[in-house]
Amino acid sequence: MNVPLTHLLTLAGGLFFIGIWCAVTRRNLIMVMLGIEIMLNAAALAFVGASLRWQQMEGQAVALFVLAIAAAEVSVGLALIICIYRRYRTLDPAKVQ
Amino acid sequence: MQTADFTALTPLLLLAAAIAAVMLQIALKRSHILTIVLTLAGLIAAMLGVLAVGDMPARQVTPLVTMDRLAFFFIGLILTATAATALLGCRYWEHAVGQCEEYYLLLLVAALGACVLAAAHHFAAFFIGLEILSISLFTLMAFARRRMASVEAGLKYLVLAGISSAFLLFGIALIYADVGSLAFPIWTARLQAAGETVSPLLLIGMGMTVIGVGFKLALVPFHMWTADIYQGAPAPTTAFVATVSKSAMVALLLRLFAPVDFTAEPALFWTLAILAFASMIVGNILALRQDSVKRILAYSSIAHMGYLLVAFLSGGPAAIAATVFYITAYTITVLGAFGVVTVLSRTDADADSMSDFQGLFFSHPWLAGVFMAMLLSLAGIPLTAGFIGKFYAITAGAQGGIWWLIITLVLTSAASLFYYLRIVVAMFSPPLENKTQPPAAGISYSGGLVLTVMTVLLIWVGSAPGPLIDLIGRITQ
Amino acid sequence: MILIWLIAIPVAGGLAAWLLDKWAPGAPRWTALVAMLLNLLIGLRLLAPAEGPWLVAIDVPWIDAFGIRFHLAIDGLSAVLITLTNGLGMIAVACSWHEIDRRRGFFFFNLLWVLAGIIGVFSALDLFLFYFFWELMMVPMFFLIAIWGHENRIYAAVKFFLFTQIGGLLMLAAIIGLYIVHGRATGIYTFDYNALLGTAMAPPTAMWLMLGFLIAFAVKLPAFPVHSWLPDAHTEAPTAGSVILAGLLLKTGAYGLLRFVIPLFPEAARTFAPFGMLLAVIAILYGALLAFSQTDLKRLVAYTSISHMGFVMLAIFAWNELALQGAVIQIVCHGISTGALFIIVGMLQERLHTRDLRRMGGLWDQMPRMGGMALLFALASLGLPGLGNFVGEFLILIGVYPVHRTLTILAALGLVAASIYSLWIVQQAFHGRARETRHRLTDLTGREGTILGALVLAIVWLGLYPQPVFTLTRPVLDRMLQTARSAPATPLKITLAPAATARAAGPVEGDWHADR
Repeated sequence: MNVPLTHLLTLAGGLFFIGIWCAVTRRNLIMVMLGIEIMLNAAALAFVGASLRWQQMEGQAVALFVLAIAAAEVSVGLALIICIYRRYRTLDPAKVQ
Repeated sequence: MQTADFTALTPLLLLAAAIAAVMLQIALKRSHILTIVLTLAGLIAAMLGVLAVGDMPARQVTPLVTMDRLAFFFIGLILTATAATALLGCRYWEHAVGQCEEYYLLLLVAALGACVLAAAHHFAAFFIGLEILSISLFTLMAFARRRMASVEAGLKYLVLAGISSAFLLFGIALIYADVGSLAFPIWTARLQAAGETVSPLLLIGMGMTVIGVGFKLALVPFHMWTADIYQGAPAPTTAFVATVSKSAMVALLLRLFAPVDFTAEPALFWTLAILAFASMIVGNILALRQDSVKRILAYSSIAHMGYLLVAFLSGGPAAIAATVFYITAYTITVLGAFGVVTVLSRTDADADSMSDFQGLFFSHPWLAGVFMAMLLSLAGIPLTAGFIGKFYAITAGAQGGIWWLIITLVLTSAASLFYYLRIVVAMFSPPLENKTQPPAAGISYSGGLVLTVMTVLLIWVGSAPGPLIDLIGRITQ
Repeated sequence: MILIWLIAIPVAGGLAAWLLDKWAPGAPRWTALVAMLLNLLIGLRLLAPAEGPWLVAIDVPWIDAFGIRFHLAIDGLSAVLITLTNGLGMIAVACSWHEIDRRRGFFFFNLLWVLAGIIGVFSALDLFLFYFFWELMMVPMFFLIAIWGHENRIYAAVKFFLFTQIGGLLMLAAIIGLYIVHGRATGIYTFDYNALLGTAMAPPTAMWLMLGFLIAFAVKLPAFPVHSWLPDAHTEAPTAGSVILAGLLLKTGAYGLLRFVIPLFPEAARTFAPFGMLLAVIAILYGALLAFSQTDLKRLVAYTSISHMGFVMLAIFAWNELALQGAVIQIVCHGISTGALFIIVGMLQERLHTRDLRRMGGLWDQMPRMGGMALLFALASLGLPGLGNFVGEFLILIGVYPVHRTLTILAALGLVAASIYSLWIVQQAFHGRARETRHRLTDLTGREGTILGALVLAIVWLGLYPQPVFTLTRPVLDRMLQTARSAPATPLKITLAPAATARAAGPVEGDWHADR
């Protein structure tokens, strides 16, 4: 209860925007995936913060779900990236088409 | 959990059992036919489960899901669409290089995710359902992995879905921070109570949720890559994305926003109204410029989600019923339309360009007739389900008094005729001389069955919609 | 039941024609001919004048949730138009006997379904059902043009479909608007025509709803600013398609104005009437002017249609008994005479492989019988006394004169123009000296002679003795005039602004146009 909600949300919001920035501007598929991961984790952080505010476990449980599902998403994503890399020998989304 | 809880969950449990069975079967012995039979058996069992327990009074099973009539209706719709996709896929994957049994497994998993989404009552269930659906969809899209377009479509969808999930999640986290609960009804109650004075946290949260839903429904301006994904993905997957994932998201939209009184929430109303307006205009304009049939259908799906929002935004008693009717009619039509595309396609190359359809009426009059019926339904010509859907949407909108959206709907759907007619005209043009028609082997029985069923449904709903309207009326009470 | 048969026979006949195509190449046309003959004979039974407002009716629930009923009913006006439809339908089948050589089965399927849709339009009394048939006749017509048309057929077909569809969708929105206004005011949500008559609504609402209907019908008619689909569609369509377009589809627009626009929205229509009449006169003169400058014979006849249908629109917006009687006769006679002209053009094209007037000339020597027929229908088109069109145009001008003199005089100028272009056709095509050396041409064959002969009989009969049509339609028109006059007098159930009520109560006694 030492950390106020606003601080946590500001941090989470900042992370989220860093994530968007990374996902939208980077010219490398791995970095795009990384950006999405940062966004998801920012959301998870916001959940933890909110759950702290209400003194509930629900939000923390969701944060765990987010971690698990983000992992699944990344595994599928990396498989596809490998598939693309084998064919094009590049990870630049602009060159892939 | 009591027995009644398990009874209510019957369709989902049967579907999960089917998934386990298919998985085991693939592990023990690979056989395309056997997988198809198991898949269909599981889907039919789940459908029978829906029929058996569908009339029960609504029951909340754990805090996570509510099995009410709306949920059962959408589950039935999703299962039907999945079965149709599986049948359409039979011939498509038969000649695939490599193994294709997993396709059906993934299809079932995606269907399970969509069903959970349709019944979700709580944010956690919603998120799990959504991600089960999405992650299976990436793979379904990339399944034709010899075709780079297919893999690219999968990856694009993954990036898109990841970003939109993150938006949804963050929005929901903000709402949670404000409201203190993850159950949907508490949110809407809170939103209702707040009236015009919504706290900024809730407002930002709602805004980000709308962005997330907008991505999933491919509303303008969140529509980029939709056409690439539709075009790149294998035809059966495209049919699946256009129907199952759309109807699951519509179910969610209904759960989230249907109890909201839009007159008291101008901000939410205007946000959605502008999305609907932009989707109708931009979707139709972009479709006019396409030469690929799959891309035309992709952009037309954007426009159709705009029409659907018109029905949804009208408020009033008819709004929910009209929305449910619209998505049902749309699902039938799109399954038929992509069904024809699938039947004409092979794993190595989908029937996509206009020239693939040129002269279809003379080489395959029956297929051309079905496709024409589906296109006319999309255009909203009477005697088809699409017409009744559009009629219902306009009626609901007129009751809500949102005339500017209705006029947009009317004018854009008149413009949409132009590209639907282009396909129809191509089918009636003389065939190209040096062109071998795609399916030399003729239409498979399974594909023919799906197309027949969809055509019969299309005309039945179009000429005697009474029973369906009554059913939807009972569901949405 | 008889109305169901009238629609079911062409529908079933069309399906049979399509299916029988594989069995024998000659089967489709015979099936179609027999179906239309049967329909004509059944339809003739409707022509008996009756006591009640509706001669025959069928009314069963269709979609309960919206209060939609399968309500078909006809009165004298519909009976006349349905007979015209059956007659021209038979002629259209007969004149495509040899012209259509590809995919005959599908051709006759489309042809018969258009006719079924038209009969439905003329007999539907539920507005939803009306829209249903209205759209249903569009799709087969699109195929008739797009598959069997001439050089530029796709463009023409798409243009036709887009124009009519935009109009149709606006009408759908207006129908739904009317449904909701009526439902809000009375609590009864219905699409029934008789129930919706006299719906009370605020003048701006009425104006918007009326415009929705009006645009759809004006496109069909076609009225002046929205006519541009017509020359293309007529020119590119096969002969049977042109006959049905000019003879029947255009009439559905006039019928819609007569049956729906003015009775449902008398006040708004009265406000709009001066513009309507002005547009009608512009159409009369503009159509005639453009007709004169055409060299493509088929296009020329198409433009004359715009001019002639202008008279009908003028009469409808004048809204008095003489003018309306004239409009009905004009509708029927224009269907026959223009249909005949299109058939003659079709026959010329079969023989000469061109529709270009500049390449014709001197045809009379080789084909005196056809020349005679062409002369007769050209005279009908210019309004020669003794032929049906004269009765129509004369009555219209007499009826319109008290309403608006200047416009009447301008419209009469259209008649002068009509005599110029009609005689121009005959002179260019049949008289003078042949401009090209050509093979021997056969004159009218027996089949062609019979087709044209039947049309000659009809047009002469209507010119000399139009009384049966008057007897049938007068009660209907009287009733419509009554409804439209008395509508504002029915007590307004929802109170409008006081000014509006006062204005609405004003012209009860007087003529429809009295307050101008």
